[in-house]
Amino acid sequence: MPSFPFIESTMTHSSRRSFLRDSMAMLCAALGGALLPVKAHAMGDEDHLQIAWLTPDASKPGTRTTALRRVLQEVEKRTSVKVDATSHIIAIGEEMFDYPMLFLSGSGDFDPWSDEQIDQLRLWIKGGGFLVVDSHEGLADGPFLRAARRELARVYIDEKSSEVPGNHVLYKSFYIIKTPRGRIEASEPLEAYFEQDRLSVVFSPLDLLGAWARDGFGRWEYDMASGVESEREYAIRMGVNLVMYALCVNYKDDQVHIPFILKRRTWKVE
Amino acid sequence: MIPEGYNSGDLLWLGDWGPAWIAVLVLIGVVVIGVSAYDLRGLKTGRRITLVGLRALVYVCAVVMLLEPALDLKNISRVKNHVAVMVDTSESMNLKMDEQGTTRHQRVQQELPELVPFIEAHQDDHVFHFFSYGQEREGFAQSSREQLEALATSGGKHSNLGGALEAIDAHFVEEELGGVILYSDGIDSGAIASRTRRGEKLDSSSQALVSSLGVPINTVAAASQDGLRDLAITRVMRDDFAFVHNKVSVDVEIQAIGIAEQPISVTLMRGEEELQTKQIQLTKNEMLYKVRFEFVPRQIGQEIYNVQLPVLENEALTTNNEHLFLLRVIRDKIRALQVVGRPSWDERFMRRLLKRDPNIDLISFFILRTNESLSNASRDELSLIPFPTQELFDKELGSFDLVIFQNFNFGPYSMRQYLPRIEEFVKEGGGFVMIGGDLSFASGGYARTAIEKTLPVKLPGGRGKLIDTKNFRPELTQAGLRHPITQLAFDPATNTKIWASLPEQRGTNIVGKALPGATVLATHPDLRAGGEPMPVITIGTHGEGRVMAMTTDSTWRWGFESLGDGGTPREYQLFWHNAMRWLIKDPELKLVKLELAQDTTHPGDPIEISVRVANSDYSPAQNRTGELLITHTPHDKDETASAIEPIPLKTNSAGIAQVSFTPAQRGVYELVARVKDEQDESLEDRQLVLVVPDLREYQQIIPRDDLLEAIATHTGGAFSNLQSSSSAREPVLLEPRTVKVNRRKVIQLWDSALTFLLIVVLLALEWTLRRRWGRL
Repeated sequence: MPSFPFIESTMTHSSRRSFLRDSMAMLCAALGGALLPVKAHAMGDEDHLQIAWLTPDASKPGTRTTALRRVLQEVEKRTSVKVDATSHIIAIGEEMFDYPMLFLSGSGDFDPWSDEQIDQLRLWIKGGGFLVVDSHEGLADGPFLRAARRELARVYIDEKSSEVPGNHVLYKSFYIIKTPRGRIEASEPLEAYFEQDRLSVVFSPLDLLGAWARDGFGRWEYDMASGVESEREYAIRMGVNLVMYALCVNYKDDQVHIPFILKRRTWKVE
Repeated sequence: MIPEGYNSGDLLWLGDWGPAWIAVLVLIGVVVIGVSAYDLRGLKTGRRITLVGLRALVYVCAVVMLLEPALDLKNISRVKNHVAVMVDTSESMNLKMDEQGTTRHQRVQQELPELVPFIEAHQDDHVFHFFSYGQEREGFAQSSREQLEALATSGGKHSNLGGALEAIDAHFVEEELGGVILYSDGIDSGAIASRTRRGEKLDSSSQALVSSLGVPINTVAAASQDGLRDLAITRVMRDDFAFVHNKVSVDVEIQAIGIAEQPISVTLMRGEEELQTKQIQLTKNEMLYKVRFEFVPRQIGQEIYNVQLPVLENEALTTNNEHLFLLRVIRDKIRALQVVGRPSWDERFMRRLLKRDPNIDLISFFILRTNESLSNASRDELSLIPFPTQELFDKELGSFDLVIFQNFNFGPYSMRQYLPRIEEFVKEGGGFVMIGGDLSFASGGYARTAIEKTLPVKLPGGRGKLIDTKNFRPELTQAGLRHPITQLAFDPATNTKIWASLPEQRGTNIVGKALPGATVLATHPDLRAGGEPMPVITIGTHGEGRVMAMTTDSTWRWGFESLGDGGTPREYQLFWHNAMRWLIKDPELKLVKLELAQDTTHPGDPIEISVRVANSDYSPAQNRTGELLITHTPHDKDETASAIEPIPLKTNSAGIAQVSFTPAQRGVYELVARVKDEQDESLEDRQLVLVVPDLREYQQIIPRDDLLEAIATHTGGAFSNLQSSSSAREPVLLEPRTVKVNRRKVIQLWDSALTFLLIVVLLALEWTLRRRWGRL
């Protein structure tokens, strides 16, 4: 199995400088929360786009906890979608049915889920849920993705995951994307489970959340694997596309869009 | 030798001996003769044969006595069987067959007296009955030769030869039929002719039918195709209904006989509009021609089409030069336009529902980005397309059945000028639903626009609150308990329970009171509008179209969130499917439904009509009165349309009024069932009925003498053609099989002294010869 050049970035918090920085960050975050303009209530925040983080193992608090909030803010800035950027961290259970889109991310192996949890997850997926499994490890066959595949295989007993083709609507749901990128660039097509004509589970070894996570000062928490900071934009675009795909599914495959998209793709090639 | 006074004698055996006993007697005889022959082996051959022969004779005589032979003398006479003379009096027999104007019917009338000598010659064995067939759809009418000869015209409609033969068979079921003599031109609008094409053998079903009578069917062809000149539409093959915007094919079969080679135009008319014209080239060798018309109906409803051929000089018949038919154009798929102001879960689940419905053809337009959105990519890096407002709301709007505004505000897209067009679209019969959200209703800026006029609720126009963010569960009104949109269970109590268990809605748009005539199906539990609970689900009509206002944007939770509580997406799916069906006026959801047994009929044939009436909650409307209005538009363009006396309607306990109407003339009849609803508003449904002459008999006017000959040949009858004197053959009839016994006498042959004397003499002779030839 191919491996990615960068596994997971780490940060040290031991120095005084970092202590001061973290303290300032907490202060700013607190002030920022108080001073930011209050979002106008539309039909209630609950009715804005909410995406939750599904923890594979409730006993292990994850990293990159700011990532979803950051990417949702990007979605709201770049698109017409109104979001509720509050962090929602949930475990498999009834609560999932408040969130049609979930991110399952982490690193390392995790304990198998109970049969009851598998049944719940199957019901959620069949009912219309969209799950993005994102590994922090940067390995296509790392322990985390292996564990996630193992559990999802219990959901899809008689089905196998398959590659997401390069012309899939996921890559044109908002931005036209030629190569999926997270903090790491994909060397192989993404893998996914399909539910009739839609993606239901996408496996990402790209560490998307790593590319999106910022600290309280707004600084990126993890460096891009390539070291090219400008490539982070493509990881954010991938995030926007995932969210727009979750909301609009195959809308961009409607016949009315095809001439426009083809024209732009052709133009890009030439 | 039969004694005088008897004309039949049969030998009877009165002895009650079974076949087994007779076999035993024969066996004993063989043994006796064998033993004798062995015993007499010392004698000369001649003497031996003589003695064995005498003994065998004695044995045979004894056995014959045991079998008790008798002579059965009878005086008998034969009973006459019946012969059916059937004369075709269908409409095709009125066709002229020569320049003098002699009709086929007249030719048969001239021929009937020629049958008299044959009848007289066979009257000892047969009783001749005369029947006509062709007046009724099935069977025959009993007649007489004199009556048939006196008929001025054939007077019938269409012939059903198979039906008539079966009826004759049934008529003589108690009596013996000796044969059938059939006078016809062979044109049969029943099954036999349709199954047996010209020049082919009788098919197996027809063979079985004609053979089932068990008698020869003698056929006399009244005419042949010589001298006939006609151009006819013999068949139009098409479906009874077509889908709007989908191609329709109509195949026309044309028959030309006795017409010189020339090009002929075949025209398809839709009402008064000439739709298409096709050319065919008539040739000497071809009699049948096929033309295919293909077109795309653009409107839902009933349309009258007419296939026309030119009328040529001296045609035997001109009424078969056109063929009218009624095409019911129905919706193939619901064409729905979903316009969404911003992607959301509500949009996502709605689109999924609509996309999965095979009956819905969905066109979606989502506003993915607004002018306020940050743009850090070139246009070519985005898969966005312009919002084609003019195409959608001006050019193509009429092609949709339903428009869905889902959390969509028109303001940023310069579309104010299209809002009146959307109102027009609804007035003309389109469906429109506005689904809530912060870009909908008053918060979408629709107050005091053409859309507000279209909606079934008033919109708050001031600076007040336009959105309420509190969670709530809609509460059904009385109307909502039974209305098909909100009826998630048939029983109102169960329905209420289901609604109470659905996940909460996350906020609502604030709307005003429902407009007069609108129906509120569900209300907010806390908010009030004009002193009444605020409408949440409201429906109404606007012109010919239907509208719905749904003030929340979280119905998707009924289909997804409920799964977590052990529920199913059924309620969400059912609610929206019902709403779509109601909005596009699914015929199943009409409050007044006019139903006809058939939409094409013939003058004089009654039409059975049912009018189903429902209350606004779709319960049967009992004892509701109304009227059936009828307008007749004659086929002749010079005549004007006229109204016919309305027929009163009154519904029964099932909400159905049944009436009958008999159109007298050809043309188009428009039936309108008009009934008042609970609010004294008029509800109506309309249907067209096409009344055309019954031309089945004239679709094929070329005499089918080949069919008549095939029937005669198959049943052992004789075939004659009145147009060819050389082909005349005498009918073949079966001899009567039934006899009547006038006198009978049985003479026992064995019970006489002569028989005993013969045996004694034979025994004495055998004894004498045996002694003389030296045997004891």
